[in-house]
Amino acid sequence: MVALLERLAPESTLADDRYADIRRRAHQRLMQHGFPDLKTEAWKYTSLRLLEKRELMPDAGAAAVEPAALPFAADVIRFDAGLVGQAPVDLPAGVRLEPIDPGELVNIDYGDRAGAMAWLNLARFEQAWKLVIESVLERPLVLAMTLPEGFASSVHPRLKIEVATGAEAVLIEQQRDHGAGLVNIVEDIELQRGARLRHVISRRNADSVWVQRTRVSVAADADYRCCALELGGRLVRQDLAVHLLEAGANGEIDGVAYVDTRQHVDWHTAIDHEVGPSNSRESFRILADGSGVGVFNGRIHIQRGADDSHSDLNTANLLLSENARINIKPELEIYAEEVTASHGATIGQLEDSALFYLRSRGLPVDQAMALLKFGFAAAPLEQAEPEAVRAWLNQDLHSVL
Amino acid sequence: MLKISNLHVAIDDKEILKGVDLEIGPGELHAIMGPNGSGKSTLGYALAGREGYEITAGSVEFEGEDLAEMEPEERAAAGLFLAFQYPVEIPGVNNAYFLRAALNAQRKARGEEEIDSMNFLKTVRESLKSLKMDEALLKRAVNEGFSGGEKKRNEIVQMAVLQPKLAVLDETDSGLDIDALKLVAEGINAQRDGKRSFLVITHYQRLLDYLTPDRVHVLAEGRIVESGGEELAERLEAEGYAFLEAGSEA
Repeated sequence: MVALLERLAPESTLADDRYADIRRRAHQRLMQHGFPDLKTEAWKYTSLRLLEKRELMPDAGAAAVEPAALPFAADVIRFDAGLVGQAPVDLPAGVRLEPIDPGELVNIDYGDRAGAMAWLNLARFEQAWKLVIESVLERPLVLAMTLPEGFASSVHPRLKIEVATGAEAVLIEQQRDHGAGLVNIVEDIELQRGARLRHVISRRNADSVWVQRTRVSVAADADYRCCALELGGRLVRQDLAVHLLEAGANGEIDGVAYVDTRQHVDWHTAIDHEVGPSNSRESFRILADGSGVGVFNGRIHIQRGADDSHSDLNTANLLLSENARINIKPELEIYAEEVTASHGATIGQLEDSALFYLRSRGLPVDQAMALLKFGFAAAPLEQAEPEAVRAWLNQDLHSVL
Repeated sequence: MLKISNLHVAIDDKEILKGVDLEIGPGELHAIMGPNGSGKSTLGYALAGREGYEITAGSVEFEGEDLAEMEPEERAAAGLFLAFQYPVEIPGVNNAYFLRAALNAQRKARGEEEIDSMNFLKTVRESLKSLKMDEALLKRAVNEGFSGGEKKRNEIVQMAVLQPKLAVLDETDSGLDIDALKLVAEGINAQRDGKRSFLVITHYQRLLDYLTPDRVHVLAEGRIVESGGEELAERLEAEGYAFLEAGSEA
């Protein structure tokens, strides 16, 4: 892993600008801790060894690619290669995009080797951006990131998203990879008092290693809802941590991941009730076919004093072939009084009786299986809003099944 | 239409049907009655082609074709329909979408054009109305959250839309109250056009009161032990299956 460190983050190539000190500090921490391996609890099912085998080109930024057209009206910000260069000009009213002041990055701590990829981001990012949403947005705001065929370097986008008091938005991350590089994103999302954010992650990857760390903080009476459609990739790791910081905060995660041969998807989520009453709900489904590997680790943490909180965590998973693997780990830790918390986890296969029922009505076996898979996978997407976005997600899901 | 000859069917090497003979002509409605465990549902599943229901001897011809050689979806496209005793819930799959996909898959297999959505909806709506079912059911997932009676009636709706040549109804009357029973019977009678055939599996005479079967058969221990007209059903209702045993001993 030392060689990997030297290759991914040679000190001599760190850019020398107003973030230089921050990068140097991050680089030192990274050298100190190293990368996680399978003995690192948070990475026990996902190995980064694939990166060692990759000859990543020097960071050159990816060539610009048009994101796929969306079937609904939206404001699109192209976030290719982390928005290096100038900020886009066509932002809707109530939205600002600006560079982050280095002062905001000084005291960041990603801990030990479990946080190595975030340290790597902090050592390698070119420009840190802040997206501020200050009003109720009429149309979805899309962060589109498309890596082209032939992408073989690494990018480390870094973004902070602030949703101001009383603001509301549908934010869609439309992520498409056609290359074989490294994408290493760190994003912090802050919902201020009473803010509402519907956060959609729609991702479909080829051979790149895609690591994304998303941290969400939710203030009083604010409402954060994530809906994710993960349609496979050579190696995808998503960390999503939602911190319910004040009374009345609500956090919800609905997600579905589909993996097939030579694909590995790992979702690590954590919902932290720091204060009560606060509410959370999470539903995550994985369908694994071929020799695909799916990982879901969902942690609910209700801290001491977060009384009168409610939480529900459910994960249902479908193994579609003998060689597919699914690792799931729901974790519930409760230290508060008067809470209601529930969790459920299942891994199963397509039901023979359902398959026969559909075939007995005339559906060929492939079509019947696709319909059953779709029926299973579509449930978490029911939560997506508005309807046009839900229909778009369903369409994408349909296209892989 | 259907010719079953010396049919033997085994599940997990256990023989359930032990030589069934049955012939149903076009437009005929036959009823099969029999005690629990006699093999009635096995016959229905074997006809529809459920995996694990192995035909170990004998044959089933459907319009001259050997059913054993056909996949379940091929049997459906050829015009065979099984109304399930326990209709399966399919979460996440919209009822209308499923029904249209099934109909079009059958039509495609037969080399026919796809049905247009207007005609499709018209047919479905009429069927729903005649069975006094809420149209909202079309937007719900297949059988999910349906009451027992709704599930059974939904099978009849499917039959009406798919227009099979032979419908096998496996205890479609069980679990229905008397009003729902009448609706289901009317739904079946509405499909009797002199050509379509029916095999009605039931425990009770009451459904047959509305259907006037051409023949009634009694299945016991994997064989048809008695056949007759409607009066056989009446006798079974009055005396139970005991007289069969008495008869066989005599």
